[in-house]
Amino acid sequence: MNISLDPWVWISALLSLAIFSFLYKDNPFYKFAEHVFVGAANGYAVTFYWHNILVPSLFDPLFRQGKLLYIISLIIGVLYFTRFIPKISWLVRIPIGITIGYYTGASIPAGIQANIIKQIQGTILTKENFLAWHAGNAGIIWSIILFIGVLCTLSYFYFSKEHKGVLKVTSRIGIIFIMIGFGAAFGYTVMARVSLLIGRLQFLLGPWLGIIK
Amino acid sequence: MKIFDLMLKIDRRIIYLVLAVVVILPLVIPSAQHVRVMPPVEKLFTAVDTIHSDKVLMIDFDYDPQTQPELEPMALAILRHAFNKRIKVLGLSLYVQPLGLAKSAFDQVISEYNSTAKTYEDSIIYGRDYVFLGWQPPPLVPILGMGESITNVYKKDYYGNQTDTLPLMKKIKNYNQVELLISISSGDPPLWWVGYAQNRFGLKVGVGCTAVSASDYYPYLQTGQFSGLMVGMKGAAEYEELVESRLNIYKRRKASEALPSLTYAHLVMMAFIIIGNIGYFIKRRQK
Repeated sequence: MNISLDPWVWISALLSLAIFSFLYKDNPFYKFAEHVFVGAANGYAVTFYWHNILVPSLFDPLFRQGKLLYIISLIIGVLYFTRFIPKISWLVRIPIGITIGYYTGASIPAGIQANIIKQIQGTILTKENFLAWHAGNAGIIWSIILFIGVLCTLSYFYFSKEHKGVLKVTSRIGIIFIMIGFGAAFGYTVMARVSLLIGRLQFLLGPWLGIIK
Repeated sequence: MKIFDLMLKIDRRIIYLVLAVVVILPLVIPSAQHVRVMPPVEKLFTAVDTIHSDKVLMIDFDYDPQTQPELEPMALAILRHAFNKRIKVLGLSLYVQPLGLAKSAFDQVISEYNSTAKTYEDSIIYGRDYVFLGWQPPPLVPILGMGESITNVYKKDYYGNQTDTLPLMKKIKNYNQVELLISISSGDPPLWWVGYAQNRFGLKVGVGCTAVSASDYYPYLQTGQFSGLMVGMKGAAEYEELVESRLNIYKRRKASEALPSLTYAHLVMMAFIIIGNIGYFIKRRQK
């Protein structure tokens, strides 16, 4: 055992323990650590944005280099603050509209191409898709299972017709595939949360207490 | 029956306590666990290994302190691999928080190499062998902008250097000189890289993600949109295994060390789920 003498390690360790104390029940130590985290994160972000974005990308070009065109960006940005003045709060719609317009325009074509077209292509029963499973001859079987799974799952979400007859059978099979998906997602979520716990314990047992290297 | 009532109402603090014990013990008393490398990680390793000498590897470090335990070992393993093969590296972050962690990963691996380097040529030199571009918001702007010109988007690097004056950046204009991008991320960035950089500019994308994102990302591996995938601590341990066995780099393997704890924690969770379900079914039958 070789306990750290570094004050920053001690602060990290004590704050970690304060957060862990929530597992027993809500308490002032947890609340203190939570508020420190939120305050530090916001303070860091605000100063970082100011020094690394606003000053070099807007204020310097506009006020020091005299690039007057940048005033348009400044005015649009400032309109966000009109939210706090009830009489002219409607002006906030201008920057929001520009942001939504830009992002929607950029993301729709990309989303359709990456998430719909390519995924449909990946479901088609081709030799390339069989090979993608890295399962030798079993790749054909997995591709067929995937093909059936996609069709049945989609049929479950088809609500324009009552789930009777063939649609009842396919939608029931679809539910099985959805449940398998949820199970996999839950398993991975458990793995992620436990990994984070391990990371913190590695820190507490290592750099802080010096029990492990 | 009292025992079945207890099975249904185990105090959550008992579960936490048992979980803490099974996680801590394997860390204090380490035991060897064989790491079996799966095809998605093997694929990513091969993609990095086969990068041409005139092209670069771009790494997007998008992990913050919350996800550091899962993703940092991936970043270290990839950097060790790249510098061992003398592959030029460009680093960047799409968010603010990962910047410090990315710098720390670079510093750690570079000091490992430079402590054993005998000559200037053997060493890893900033500007010649790697460049840390830093951060430029919002994420969509650098992703799209670098397709035209990287130095136009990142006029200055993380350290404040003029990027177009750095020797490495004189050879790199845009994605045409980037053979592979690896997004080590805890969120959506891998999908942004595929959506905006791959669809439009044909950039190859590899991914290291948290376990939570895994079920969302596997379909993209199967379609070939991802050139490889590392998932959570297990994925990081697999890459560490490849770096050790194929490249003979023997460094601390933080993800591999954590695997026994991960395994026992899963077994405990399964045991509690089974106990709860047995209690539930027996109680239901009694009613």
